[in-house]
Amino acid sequence: MKNRVEELLSKGVILGFLGLIVKNGFPLPHLFTNVNRCDLEFLSIEESRYPLVKIFLKLISKYQDQKFGIMVRGCDERAIIELAKLNQINLNNVVMLGVACSEEMAKKCLCKIPYPSQFVFGERINSSYNKGGLKEEIERMSIEERENFWKNQFKKCFKCYGCRNVCPICICIKCCLEDQDLIKKGEIPPEFPVYHLVRAIDVAGRCIDCGLCEEVCPANIPLRAIHKKVLEIFETVFSYEPGRSLEEMCPLNFPGEISSKELKTKSD
Amino acid sequence: MNLEILDGEIIGVLPLINHPISEGMLCIKGWNAHQFIGSEKRILKPLIKEDTEFREASWDEALDFSAEKLKEIMEKYGSDSIGFLSSAKCTNEENFLMMKFARAVIGTNNIDHCARLCHASTVTGLSIAFGSGAMTNSIPEIEEADCILIAGSNTTEQHPLIGSRIFRAKERGAMVILVDPREVQLAKIADIYLKPKPGTDVAWINGFAYVILQEGFEDKEFIKEKTEGFEEFKKVILEYSPEKVEQITEIPKEDVVKAAKIFATAKNSSILYSMGITQHTTGTNNVLSLANLAMLTGNVGKSGSGVNPLRGHQNVQGSCDMGALPNMYSGYQKIEDEVIKRKFEESWRVKLPSRNGLTVVEMMNAALEGSIKGMYIMGENPVVTDPDLNHVKNALKNLEFLIVQDLFLTETAKYAHIVLPAASFAEKDGTFTNTDRRVQRVRKAIDPIRDSKPDWEILCNLAKRLGSNGFDYKSPEEIFEEIACLTPIYGGINYNRIDSESLQWPCRTLDDKGTKYLHQGRFTRGLGLFTPIDYKPPAESPDEEYPYILTTGRVYFLFHSNTMTGVSPSLSSELEEGFVEINPKDASGLNIRNGEKIKVSSRRGELEIKAFITERVKKGVIFIPFHFSESAVNVLTNPALDPEAKIPEFKVCAVKIEKI
Repeated sequence: MKNRVEELLSKGVILGFLGLIVKNGFPLPHLFTNVNRCDLEFLSIEESRYPLVKIFLKLISKYQDQKFGIMVRGCDERAIIELAKLNQINLNNVVMLGVACSEEMAKKCLCKIPYPSQFVFGERINSSYNKGGLKEEIERMSIEERENFWKNQFKKCFKCYGCRNVCPICICIKCCLEDQDLIKKGEIPPEFPVYHLVRAIDVAGRCIDCGLCEEVCPANIPLRAIHKKVLEIFETVFSYEPGRSLEEMCPLNFPGEISSKELKTKSD
Repeated sequence: MNLEILDGEIIGVLPLINHPISEGMLCIKGWNAHQFIGSEKRILKPLIKEDTEFREASWDEALDFSAEKLKEIMEKYGSDSIGFLSSAKCTNEENFLMMKFARAVIGTNNIDHCARLCHASTVTGLSIAFGSGAMTNSIPEIEEADCILIAGSNTTEQHPLIGSRIFRAKERGAMVILVDPREVQLAKIADIYLKPKPGTDVAWINGFAYVILQEGFEDKEFIKEKTEGFEEFKKVILEYSPEKVEQITEIPKEDVVKAAKIFATAKNSSILYSMGITQHTTGTNNVLSLANLAMLTGNVGKSGSGVNPLRGHQNVQGSCDMGALPNMYSGYQKIEDEVIKRKFEESWRVKLPSRNGLTVVEMMNAALEGSIKGMYIMGENPVVTDPDLNHVKNALKNLEFLIVQDLFLTETAKYAHIVLPAASFAEKDGTFTNTDRRVQRVRKAIDPIRDSKPDWEILCNLAKRLGSNGFDYKSPEEIFEEIACLTPIYGGINYNRIDSESLQWPCRTLDDKGTKYLHQGRFTRGLGLFTPIDYKPPAESPDEEYPYILTTGRVYFLFHSNTMTGVSPSLSSELEEGFVEINPKDASGLNIRNGEKIKVSSRRGELEIKAFITERVKKGVIFIPFHFSESAVNVLTNPALDPEAKIPEFKVCAVKIEKI
């Protein structure tokens, strides 16, 4: 990995490489450039999941026509594909260095495809860990039980917006979670179920099932179960899977949404 | 927390994955911390007041002028005519330096800070009972508890990541008991929720003890081996039957019995508390009562239990540890102790004052009376946060010289003669000590914005101008070395040891691994001390003229006097103005509609504020958050003090409500 990055930087192929560095005992996101190339010594591929793609969007919104490298896992690559379809990332300006996840990580993440299409590190795990888990447990519940289950989960929410903040495909300038007409401001827990439904619907057809939202949720809400259910519906009803390919368009896209004029905007 | 920096500019915040406390999560204030750092409202240059207007000045001019004025006041009125307010937002190093500045340069013990207003009664109460005034256990241990008693703490709003641990404990099977006059978010999650009348905490805590003794659930061995004073305590407790407790507190007696049994029979019971317990004229008594309850059930000195004050500012624990207090040096070493005083005198090579100094509220009183002539306020905003604001404003107006050092031109800064622009936490190195005694590094992420300087540099520059030699520090690390050398509980800590890990004090030597929970084996004071406490009503009770109880507090989205959160678009847009929570029965009796502006007045002042009709508060009680300077609830609050801790009674005063 280090050698690949060093090569890309020294040949001037990329202006910088977004990956992880180990600093003060913690793995942290870091932009490796020619100026700080000595930092490469501490480049890490530790399995600490930071929203690298989200950080990448901030980077390229400032350096719009420059080429950057980024470390990607399976989920990151799916996010980048989705974002490319939404005109947020120009794939010609991205060099992805793939890392395949360990079996342990794949299991922990309930990941269907724990590796990117190409990778420079790791081994491809062929088993899928997508099945099982809470989604299926909830499916076995009656409607009333399900409602109670979610009520009990969502009453813990204290509206940090962390689920949105880390979400790689949440890119709107104006977030509907902050729209006063939809959701009352200044109130916790936010109104049930509108806050969480708005979010679930907003990312439907784009959510690439990385699970970061659930990982950062300080209220321990199993958000992933909702997104997995939505993904399943997309797959069975539309045979569509976000992040799978560049060519397939999301069945929920409105005509305006695929126009580059409408959506080619700065993230956040 | 990580700050996202692009080209020297802060563009966002990320949680710190693998951190032992936050574990990669943040609350809304954490996620948006970058917004106040880069705010356009930061003070850009030192300001000097001429007539009534501020003009920009160079650092040299501002510091020369400050030094000259301080010297003048010292010579004219003596050292004790100057008062210092240090800051729980500043680093340990900076608090230590301000403490040293007050004592060694000016020669006064008049130094205090906002801990006086939040957990002063914790420090007094827990010191009396256990011998150490800090959170007994660690934040991660909350998850090990089998019963969590939360008293006067709106934990999910005010300590969200501790709230997160409560959720996890509950999911693991722990019983959660909440006692709070407001039906806050946790009330919906708790297994038992008790809604006492504000200011009656001693009664329900004694009621718990009564039930425990009646049932024989007390930990007899623990009481015998590790405590003293039990018999006297028991005599008082026998007077607090659930019936009597119901009369005083309005908590149904069955609920008192049920909650007390659960608390007493769980394997590990942990008490979490906050301002609902401390901000009373009986604050020390409230804390002592909780300490009694924990000792009665043997819930001190083991993992997953304890008496755990949840402290607010990121470094309010540290600012107390550093001795920004009028009666103690760093590490709670008493001013009165001659040996300690001599140690500091030898190290600093000066003669130190021996009389205890004034506390926050006493300092304001002294300013009004005229015995305090000059003040130096670092990162505090008493014009919004102190009780009885009209009094505070008059006190500040009466000063001959006031230095305010802050990021923003706060309501308090407007009264200053000199305003010094300070740098935020993102712009300096240092250490913070969080509520579970955990000393951690904070690292400079960007250069100080514009002309601002880190507080420690400002203090050093000013001290040198006053002729002091003891302020030649090249870095915060050098200051920390001095702290460790003079402060036994920090003695084993240095920057290297906390480079990638944190250490919890007491940590006395270099091979001491720090202390996860206090009082293991024996109490810090030897035996734990039971104190018999009788219920006393608050200093001001409702009467015919002022028939409602006003209680104050905070909301999730904003922080204290709103100087930082108020400039953050994401936070301030959540809640733009103050409000008063009022019970539907009271509202309909007064014919008040939701959202209507009403007048609330006390013996000390009045304000107009929007009504929010809600069952969250009980009939006869209203609640107003203290964040908003436009509707500053502290014009109403009572400055009556707890006799030991000198903490004012923010949680209860009598008010009347009128339609406008």
